[in-house]
Amino acid sequence: MSDTNRNRLMLVIALVMAAIYLFPLYWMFITALKSGSEMFATPPSFWPSEPQWGTYAFVWESRGMGRYLWNSLIIAFGSVTLITVLGVGCAYVLARYRNVWVDIGLFLILMLQVLPASLMITPIFVGFSQLGMLNYPRLAVIIAIAAKSMPFFVVLVRATFMAVPQELEEAALVDGNSRVGAFFNIVLPLARNGILVSAILIFMQAFGEFVYSKSIIQAVELQPASVGLNSFMGPNTNEWNNIMAYATIYVTPILAIFVLLQRRIVSGLTSGAIK
Amino acid sequence: MTKQIELSGVNKYYGAFHALKNIELSIEKGRFVALVGPSGCGKSTLLRSLAGLESISTGDLKIAGELMNNVPPRKRDIAMVFQSYALYPHMTVEQNLTYSLRIRGVPKAQARKAAEEVAATTGLSQLLGRYPRELSGGQRQRVAMSRAIIRDPKAFLFDEPLSNLDAALRVHMRKEIRTLHDRLGATSVYVTHDQIEAMTMADHVVVMKDGVIEQQGAPLELYDRPANRFVAGFIGSPAMNFVPAMVGEDGRSLAVDVGEKQTIVLDRQLQPGRKVTAGLRPEHLHFVEPGQGVFRLPVGIVESTGSATYITTSTAAEVTIVETSRRPVRTGDIIDVSIRPADVHVFDDQTGLRI
Repeated sequence: MSDTNRNRLMLVIALVMAAIYLFPLYWMFITALKSGSEMFATPPSFWPSEPQWGTYAFVWESRGMGRYLWNSLIIAFGSVTLITVLGVGCAYVLARYRNVWVDIGLFLILMLQVLPASLMITPIFVGFSQLGMLNYPRLAVIIAIAAKSMPFFVVLVRATFMAVPQELEEAALVDGNSRVGAFFNIVLPLARNGILVSAILIFMQAFGEFVYSKSIIQAVELQPASVGLNSFMGPNTNEWNNIMAYATIYVTPILAIFVLLQRRIVSGLTSGAIK
Repeated sequence: MTKQIELSGVNKYYGAFHALKNIELSIEKGRFVALVGPSGCGKSTLLRSLAGLESISTGDLKIAGELMNNVPPRKRDIAMVFQSYALYPHMTVEQNLTYSLRIRGVPKAQARKAAEEVAATTGLSQLLGRYPRELSGGQRQRVAMSRAIIRDPKAFLFDEPLSNLDAALRVHMRKEIRTLHDRLGATSVYVTHDQIEAMTMADHVVVMKDGVIEQQGAPLELYDRPANRFVAGFIGSPAMNFVPAMVGEDGRSLAVDVGEKQTIVLDRQLQPGRKVTAGLRPEHLHFVEPGQGVFRLPVGIVESTGSATYITTSTAAEVTIVETSRRPVRTGDIIDVSIRPADVHVFDDQTGLRI
């Protein structure tokens, strides 16, 4: 097979895979626009005959989505801030010091990542309830998410710091700066991209977080959009167009951010891998 | 002369590894000192200890008369040029140059003026607004140098600054660094693994091996009177020939074992019958008319660069000869070679020390 033919075949395979992968997303978008009867038509239609744009406004109003999204934003921003402030220092230390204890620390950090949220929620819930944290449910969720996502952030940012040559820091020390000054003046600006990308990934995770929010936040007015979406669905749900409209409103901003920043995100994730 | 840098009894351990062993070194103000040795000899560790990037385990380290053992780098007032240049990638050339001044709170206008002055002397005036990634290797090297000289430090430390440049530029920068040193009246410590760099640039060469100073002194002193076999082999290019030998009955001749025993006359008295190693520099061995030489040697390999011919003999202990005359030599020839008695170095067989 010639090179061009093989490239064409690869392209076709890639397109088919992408189509399969993106189909649920497509289905979400078009279902949101279908009318009640079209939704249940057999065979299903792949393009809405009469797009029902009004569904969005109806769902936004009736479900109080503004409040839900606001809560999601608070939780996501809170988690990202907490993780970034604590995780950057941690990642820096783990990047600059090499000894047995650092290796053990890294191993433990990676182990934390293995434990699923649905397993961790019971002890976290009991612990928080003992501490009275359940009176501040959104803060409790932020702390729980921070604990869960911190390892991921630390491992990514550590790689970023390791890509910053140590000689630059030494040059700054000789030039008259202190350790702390060299970190803020030299290392941090150079690691900024990696930190930003990791923070965005954490933000997207936290924005869609469900298990902790569902378990910890009882008051409807404090729940994030993920829990709101869940409460939309019951055993006899048939308003799929409304649910899909909700989902569309919920995920489109995140998708937009990802598409806009995807080049930087990908280059951030692989930086240090090449050079 | 005042002592600008003084090291006495300095030791450095990394766990069980003894990296610097009892270093004694004193550097007068205005001197250019080269630390030279094979990789892993401790020369970079010594330099980093001077900078304060490594702490020494025992001993005293003084800069301009003040004890600096536990003083952090920023308070030592020294400047360092790194092998990788370590230019701050997110700063322009001007910001790189003025970084140390800005940290010290020098007003902006004054820092800018200083940068312009330094840039004028190092030929960077047109490049002040550029970022390091937009510069060539030689230009980066110049920025690294300028960053060091902008603030008149107590000493300059160079960590193999020329090793990333191509050969022609390296020879050029060698002169430029030395000129700069002389003009500033600076005190410089220069680490290199290239003995030619050390010999050509420095007033004082320190040869190190395995954390020990093997010998220190003026470049030609090291060349003429190497203290031991290691220094003899390290200084000079191509390297000195070492051949097993025995002192003759009269104590004034050497029976040298190159294929067959041949005798060289010495200009000094040695213990008769003692087993030694003779050191013969390739450039001290000269062609002579048949029958007049001290050696008769079979020719193995002939390499000619035009300016000189490198001849390697096909004897058991290989001998290299550098000949600048264009006398034709071919593999398999037998040549007659002579050496002046004063040019014969003799080392103890066991300790390797000069006799």
